[in-house]
Amino acid sequence: MSAITLIHGLNLAAIYGLMAIGISILWSSVGMINMAHGATFAVSGYTTWQVSLVLKPIIAAAFGNSVMASVSMAAAMLASGILSGALFGVLIYLLAYLPIHDKANFAVRSLIMTLAINLATVQVLLYLFGPNQRGLPKIFGFGKVELLGVNMRYDQIGTIVSTFAIMLLVLAWLRYSRKGLEIRAMMQNPEGAELSGISVRWTALPVTMMTGALAGLAAVLLSQTIFVSPTAGATPLIKGLTIALLGGLGSIPGALAGAVIIGFLEAIVGAIPFLGQRYVLFSQFLFIITFLIIRPRGIGGLLDETRE
Amino acid sequence: MTMEAKTALHEIGNRHREILLYPDGNEPRSRMRVPLSRRHWLKWRLRHNPKTLVVEKRLADKKPLWWVLALGSLAVAAPFLSNSSLSIAAIFCMYAAINVLWTLIIGTAGIFSLATMAVVGLAGYAAAAANVYLGVPWPFMLLIGGVAGLVTGAFLALPSTRLDGLYYALLTLGMAEICRVFIQQLKPLAPSNGSINAVGSFIPSEWYLQREGLLLGFAAAFALLLGALLLFRLINSERLGLVLQTARDEEAFAEAIGIDYRRARSQVFMISSAGLGVIGSFYAMYYSSISPAVFSLDQLLLLFAMIVIGGIGRADGAVLGTAIVILIDKGMLDLGPARILLIAVIMMVVTLFAHNGLVGIREQFRNFRNRKKSEARARRTEKGGEVMPEEAIEIADKQEVYFRRFNKRLREELKLLITPDLLEEHRQKPLGRHSDGLSRVLNYFRRGEMADKYAIMRQPDGFNRYKIVALSGERGAPPRLVDDRIYETIEEAYHAVFLLRVNDLLES
Repeated sequence: MSAITLIHGLNLAAIYGLMAIGISILWSSVGMINMAHGATFAVSGYTTWQVSLVLKPIIAAAFGNSVMASVSMAAAMLASGILSGALFGVLIYLLAYLPIHDKANFAVRSLIMTLAINLATVQVLLYLFGPNQRGLPKIFGFGKVELLGVNMRYDQIGTIVSTFAIMLLVLAWLRYSRKGLEIRAMMQNPEGAELSGISVRWTALPVTMMTGALAGLAAVLLSQTIFVSPTAGATPLIKGLTIALLGGLGSIPGALAGAVIIGFLEAIVGAIPFLGQRYVLFSQFLFIITFLIIRPRGIGGLLDETRE
Repeated sequence: MTMEAKTALHEIGNRHREILLYPDGNEPRSRMRVPLSRRHWLKWRLRHNPKTLVVEKRLADKKPLWWVLALGSLAVAAPFLSNSSLSIAAIFCMYAAINVLWTLIIGTAGIFSLATMAVVGLAGYAAAAANVYLGVPWPFMLLIGGVAGLVTGAFLALPSTRLDGLYYALLTLGMAEICRVFIQQLKPLAPSNGSINAVGSFIPSEWYLQREGLLLGFAAAFALLLGALLLFRLINSERLGLVLQTARDEEAFAEAIGIDYRRARSQVFMISSAGLGVIGSFYAMYYSSISPAVFSLDQLLLLFAMIVIGGIGRADGAVLGTAIVILIDKGMLDLGPARILLIAVIMMVVTLFAHNGLVGIREQFRNFRNRKKSEARARRTEKGGEVMPEEAIEIADKQEVYFRRFNKRLREELKLLITPDLLEEHRQKPLGRHSDGLSRVLNYFRRGEMADKYAIMRQPDGFNRYKIVALSGERGAPPRLVDDRIYETIEEAYHAVFLLRVNDLLES
């Protein structure tokens, strides 16, 4: 495996990990499969694009062409991606969680609701912005740097480092904060958590916001390599879902391991000459199906019976 | 010959909406059976009307009538439709057939599979390739499609018994994507951008896109829908479906009594997949081409919206949902992209308010009404001799329920009449004319039940020695002694019985 493949794999793993962890946490704590994760992705991409259009002249006027300008631009874009993702998470919470969370068939109905949100959002984005693809400004700048004898692009380094930082932040928040404790209690046993006085409604809100923010961050980071379009969310959604499955729904370490495996699989298959980029998806699915047939609960997940 | 009911009956409840026949009691009963089976065409139930004692024949299941009405009106109206409406109707029939078979997989087999369009598409490609490259005539395409569907279904059924419901759903979501990529890469199969064109069809090529061709296409699609519904009936309501219905709630129990539900599930899955394969080859023939668009995620989501709006697990839901979505998607083309938005909004509204789609609303409303009814009944009813709602449904004679309610209210009234003056009046004059209040109270006591009624028993050893007993209420069972106190006069004993009864009344 060449070093370039390694870096590419890590880059992909970081972005997929962001999507997969969001889906996984939401499933295990709230009990909802979020099919609108792709919509969150697309909405955050468009919001960030709009913000970058508005802020470009302002930042240029304030800082000119200095380092300060690109730093503030990057910060603004990351912040807008995260914020818009979190706001879209609130929308999902209001539409797909709050009205039906204590009703019959919640798992299937919330899945349908989020699918409908996904459909509607894609149409609204198409109506507002048209089918054209939009490119986001490069937040980490162009260029390469040689580290330890390996050529890396700035955006790859930026993505890996910022994902790593955000991931640590989220895990630390889950581990050490009061809200994180409540969320982990709900992940372990929702009924038990409720009996101990944890409000399921008020805990679900930060969870949906946080997973939305992760998707928004993934959107900003992935849009460094691909373009923003109304349907841009579909592929990350499917990949995030399957990685969350591979890792075992509800397991954060499993999702991380799954993301790393799938990211590297994609990088390696893409680098093999006679297979190439076209067979990436095919090989991923084949791998996941085989793995799940051998081990139905995924890497770190529990069987449903055990969970109950 | 029918016999009219003699008494005029009032229209109460649902009776006037029932379909009733009054058969002649002298004729022997005869029922038409479906050929080659022991089933009957309609679910007639015979009973005597409890009021008039007239024999009446009631149609217990009115769904077949609705089916005949809906599908019949579609078939009758079809020749008068415009060309574009006719093709919409044909597409509706085709998608409805797909959704009915999908319902069989999701509802009957309980496998949450999203690989429907993958099966349809793969079978369509197999049939189209056989026709175009091997020169197989079109009637055999249906067979090839069926076999291809069966093989794909067998392949997909493998993980379905291992994986949990939602895991399997998410896994199969990617299936269509894999197929799309795979078909597009397979250059020898589909050279022109992944699609196979000029597929042979049951519609002669000179009729293609002509009025005759459209009519023939609709007729064939309609027959396809009828076939799918027949398959649904044969599987869902016969042995396989019943076995799976048993296994649905209690898998462990089903296994313990010897039901191999995993096998039954994969059988249903494979049969439905074979049916979907036939529809796939029909799809290729109807359009006389097939393209990778059949695998697209949007298409799958649209189909999912159909069964979700109609209601998962019921054939009528699948057909109703298909009708609504197809009408919006294909019938309102001038709305543009807002069509999908409208469908998404309908989907959201239905999911938010209905537990199981549009066809589930009726049952949901009945449950809601029954709950409200029993809540109201519970509010009206308080404890104390009166019948609680749970008890009321078990008492056949409803007079009893009302009598007990009346009794309770009467006791409430009488309790207010008991005053020290009243007791004093009775002590002074147990017999004879009484004031209004006292005679009301005494009348109530006299009407009391025989069981535990108080009585005065004269002691055998002396003339003026009385004790109070309570009657058992049963023949042959002796009364029991209430206490050992001996009363010297009969008036004193009368008053003691009165006090005991007043005590019981106040305690009740």
